[in-house]
Amino acid sequence: MPPLQRSTRTASARVLTLAAALCAPALVSHSALAAPPTVASINVCADQLVLALADPQQILSVSWLSADPEESLFASAASRHALNYGTAEELLRFHPDVVIAGAYTNAFTRALLIRLGYHVVELMPEDTVAEIENNLRKVADAVGHPERGDQLVAAIRAESRELDAHRPAHAPATVVVRPGGFTVGKHSLADSLMTLAGIRNVAAEQGLDRWGSLSMETLLRSAPELLVLTGYRLAQPSLANMMLEHPALTRLRTEHPTTTIPAAYWACGLPQSLDSAALLQTAAAR
Amino acid sequence: MSATLSTGRHWRLCAALGVLVLAAAALSLLLGRSSGGPTIGFGGPELGAVILREIRLPRTLLALLVGGTLGLCGAALQGLLRNPLAEPGLLGASSGAALGAVLVFYFGLAGGDSLLLPLGAVAGSLLSLALLYALAGKSSDLLTVVLAGIAINAFTAALTSLVLNFAPSPYAALEILFWMLGSLADRSLVHVWLALPLMIPGWLLVIAAARGLDALTLGEETAASLGFDPRRTQWLVVTGTALAVGGAVAVTGVVGFVGLVVPHLLRPWVGHHPSRLLLPSFLGGALLATLADSTIRLMPPGPELKLGVVTALLGAPFFLRLVISSRNAAAN
Repeated sequence: MPPLQRSTRTASARVLTLAAALCAPALVSHSALAAPPTVASINVCADQLVLALADPQQILSVSWLSADPEESLFASAASRHALNYGTAEELLRFHPDVVIAGAYTNAFTRALLIRLGYHVVELMPEDTVAEIENNLRKVADAVGHPERGDQLVAAIRAESRELDAHRPAHAPATVVVRPGGFTVGKHSLADSLMTLAGIRNVAAEQGLDRWGSLSMETLLRSAPELLVLTGYRLAQPSLANMMLEHPALTRLRTEHPTTTIPAAYWACGLPQSLDSAALLQTAAAR
Repeated sequence: MSATLSTGRHWRLCAALGVLVLAAAALSLLLGRSSGGPTIGFGGPELGAVILREIRLPRTLLALLVGGTLGLCGAALQGLLRNPLAEPGLLGASSGAALGAVLVFYFGLAGGDSLLLPLGAVAGSLLSLALLYALAGKSSDLLTVVLAGIAINAFTAALTSLVLNFAPSPYAALEILFWMLGSLADRSLVHVWLALPLMIPGWLLVIAAARGLDALTLGEETAASLGFDPRRTQWLVVTGTALAVGGAVAVTGVVGFVGLVVPHLLRPWVGHHPSRLLLPSFLGGALLATLADSTIRLMPPGPELKLGVVTALLGAPFFLRLVISSRNAAAN
């Protein structure tokens, strides 16, 4: 039955395409209706969804951070586009049909662009896989390629099933250590991915919400079976990174299985973020 | 005779500053910033009109209004406290305003364009200044007032950090930079209309205190004997500053040092009459803030600097010079 429905849909789609082709000469002057909209994005997470979903020629500009491989999984694609610093004057010059922004960043710029009549799409940060799917669909619709959103969502679901099938027999008690001794709790993307991978997040079990700091003492006492480090700009001096060099942590790393997840996988919710769950499963299996 | 001469000099100074302010405003309207760095001019006629009206005009107007407010209130506070170190930023008026705005904004009481935001800022600013008066109001001792100001400033800044840490918005902790360092980027005319209704009555109250401030230079008792009630002057300056600075901080965050540096730089030109310092300080503040904000747009490509960083870079050396010269004066 479903295949039949699908072929009916395809048939009606063909009719629509035909109708569009017949109308095309009339539509040339209103090319916005026929051509996919031009787009600019002003937030590193929004940028990566745009780079994943829009045609390169649609993209007028992405924000500067997304061209940085430490911040973004799409750095090389981003560096082929004009980079912006998220100010209204830059965007006015690009004059995109759609602006994709984060719901919590560039508040004044968003307000100003909306006031000037721009179509601004605001994305909430993704804390769950379902929220990644929502944002993928939202951006796919906004850039005029809803089918690509569907494809990526289908790929995410396939990967989720794959991860589910490869859950470790014993779920290791895991502690995530980010620079500065921060760790992740419930209602965070990293925790969602750990759950998907089938490993236990000790901090979440202890009731930590979103993220919080983890003292060296708590870390040692929690006796983790798996240690997950996320480095971020390790070459730059910072007090936060110095903590990762703490002798107690160094010893813990030699005694327990340790894996490193690049920060960009967990900074933004992307289809690629699920790959980090596969890395966690590999580490748990060791 | 000498009074007439120095009045003439006062108006010549105002006229000169006015011309400079107009030139700085024109520069600020002409200067833009794109991904490649600073730009001059507007681009095409249609785009240019929008950029000019909706981006650069609000930004320039706010630089003038906020800078003017800080200059004026700095001059009035220095007169009131008979203390050259007084300034809305140093006395905690600005950080109190930031605390009020942060409370209103992050706990969902108001969006970024609601009148409740500046009103929260005014309340915070008023509380800070009231606390300052409770701690140091009776004393005109330089050290007491400044120490009280520093304590209030540190306390309100700490409370602001605390509030931002507990705010439900996950980005509140990052936005602390904005509230502590100030910025004029991408404000619209909405923000001008939000701040102006509080700034104008604030200015008028401060200006109404002008002659009372002059009388206060002779000491509180002499002022009272001349018919100026020192408490009325205090009330005018404190309420006026809270209103005007509250309106400013609600839309730009805390911009430091303008209120300190400008009256101090202009004082040698007008003599030691606080009333004659008010208008020049308003114009000088507007000039400094507009130039500082234009400097930001002249920087090489990259994320924008915060306005408070530039005013502090420009202001801190003057502050140090002030400290050194007062130390030398004390030694002599």
